[in-house]
Amino acid sequence: MERIPYIAVLVLYSVVLLAHLLPAVVPAALRERVRLVAAVAAVLHIATLVEGAVFGTWEPGLQEALSACSLGVMVAYIAVAHGAQRALGILLAPLAIVSLGTALVVPNATVTALDEASAVNMWLPVHLGLLLAGVAGFALSSAVGVLYLYVRDALKKKRFGRIGRLPSLESLDRIQFRSMLFGFIALTLGIGAGGALATASLQQSWALDPKVLYTLAVWFWYFVALQARLVLGRRGRWTANFSIVGFGAMVFSLIGLNFLLQSWHSYG
Amino acid sequence: MGELLAVGLSHHTAPVDVRERMAMDEGRVRERLQRLRGEGACEEAFIVSTCNRVELYAVPRSVPLIRAWMGEHRGPNGESIEKYLYWHRNEAAVRHLFRVASSLDSLVVGEPQILGQVKNAVRVAEESRSLGYLLQRLTRQTLSVAKRVRTETRIGESRVGVGNAGVDLALQIFGGLGDKRALLVGVGEMGRQVARAMVGAGLNELIVANRTYDRSVEVAAEFGGTAIAYERMHEYLGQVDVVITATGATRPIIGPDDVYRALKVRRYRPLFMVDLSVPRNIDPAIDDIEEAFLFNVDDLTRVMDAGRREREIAAEAAVALVNDEASRFMARLSEIEVGQHIGAITRRAEQIRIEELMRSSKVLDQLDDKQRKAVESMTRAMVKKLLHGQINTLRSAAREGESEVIETLLKPWREDDS
Repeated sequence: MERIPYIAVLVLYSVVLLAHLLPAVVPAALRERVRLVAAVAAVLHIATLVEGAVFGTWEPGLQEALSACSLGVMVAYIAVAHGAQRALGILLAPLAIVSLGTALVVPNATVTALDEASAVNMWLPVHLGLLLAGVAGFALSSAVGVLYLYVRDALKKKRFGRIGRLPSLESLDRIQFRSMLFGFIALTLGIGAGGALATASLQQSWALDPKVLYTLAVWFWYFVALQARLVLGRRGRWTANFSIVGFGAMVFSLIGLNFLLQSWHSYG
Repeated sequence: MGELLAVGLSHHTAPVDVRERMAMDEGRVRERLQRLRGEGACEEAFIVSTCNRVELYAVPRSVPLIRAWMGEHRGPNGESIEKYLYWHRNEAAVRHLFRVASSLDSLVVGEPQILGQVKNAVRVAEESRSLGYLLQRLTRQTLSVAKRVRTETRIGESRVGVGNAGVDLALQIFGGLGDKRALLVGVGEMGRQVARAMVGAGLNELIVANRTYDRSVEVAAEFGGTAIAYERMHEYLGQVDVVITATGATRPIIGPDDVYRALKVRRYRPLFMVDLSVPRNIDPAIDDIEEAFLFNVDDLTRVMDAGRREREIAAEAAVALVNDEASRFMARLSEIEVGQHIGAITRRAEQIRIEELMRSSKVLDQLDDKQRKAVESMTRAMVKKLLHGQINTLRSAAREGESEVIETLLKPWREDDS
């Protein structure tokens, strides 16, 4: 991990968070350009990741996974958290910060199976890239889901203090659905790429690997959520709950699972 | 530099029959501006004339002339309008203009039209060539202050009235009404208000159902909607996004089962329901259905209360902003003015120095180059050091707006001139 550029990125992300959390103490000029700050930080983040990959300090592992996860969330932030959806910044920015912060403090664990694999072939970046895009989509979807539940509660419980200052239910529902769909497609393709990677680089059977099975269960969970939406029209709170639980499971798989189970994906 | 004057009357000070006699159209404003300057009453001027106010902003040359001009106007019973007028000078005038343009002085605080009216007044004055250095600067700053108020406070955001409260709730659910259909059941006054506000907010289609069909046709025509037979009201529940009830029925006419059926048809897209009738027309139990968002008269009242509180808070913030901008504007003006005086003082001091050197030129001519240069730089340094303290005090007095200090410091130089 290149610590210094990452710390710079972390500081910039914190500025973004501060602009959303305490708008009163942040100068107006900065508040208006918070997306630009986020974009600069994200570019630095990408550059750091790419630099690591090109100059060989990069090994697929827990730190990189968390770092890329944080980047994905920030890209999602830049894409949606403005105008009426501004309030999303309060949810997405901390997610990106916690993720990157964790990356900086956890021990550098790399995926053990790959040390044994004969070559890190072309499928590896595709596999990782797609899965991280999926995680970013699910992260966005669940953050939007939390906000959806909040706005829904305000309306149902007749708390009108913030009426007109929060994104509308329909727009939140649209974003949570689209980002979930995006995450699902990326996850599906990512699992496929993982299969190709395993076939190419691992001799043993991988299909019964605990992490693979767990990920398939998560995949199925989202499949049900999307089917309920597309076939039955179940949306709103329904989608939000699926999304929040699904992302929780996803985070557990990314961080916790590897330490609990022996898997081809375990960090050494 | 001249002083600033704002004089006029508004809905705060004058009844409508006085205001309407004072109001002028563009042609008349031009004519007045010509006269005010032609007769030597003002150096610069512009006039804001709307149905709620008539105001003259000016750099006056003769206040009595302006007073006389105002005195020409009479109220509806031939009485003098003097008692309706307010006069503001300098910073108070600047503050007043900023307040007006920022819609803090409007009948409906935060309404957006006034800024356009002020802009128009400025344009007319510009075309009549009645804006000079001071008012140009002032009007430019006014537009930027009004913009700041609009973007930095929430003054223009919340609106008044039960109809708008309904629209605010609808927007919180739907984001926009452009692709939404509403069903108005019954034609009670409040129901019509909400329907009217929604149509105004861009509602796609309004369907009206009333016990007496003729009345629904009338109301539908008023809002450009469609009338349907009251008996078919339940069929339409599944086809609309908004339901507004305002009938005289004494018990609920829409129950949970109706809503469950409707939601299935609309694939669980949210249904926004406003019940404005007392006793209620929509079964309150419907609010327990996840996708149905039901609000009654009391809820709308509370939305309005929240809006009012918000407007009050926003107005306080806006007033603080405007006051701050006004005193900064005056401080800048005073700095510019003092800058000009400082220029004059330095020139005068330099002139004195050269005169004194000339007076001793016979002696000085006997000095060699090196000695002459020493005298030259010594006298320069003396002048500079003598002025240094005064200039600094002038500058800081300008910043702090201490006009008496400025006067005292400038006085000896003025006497010197004469």
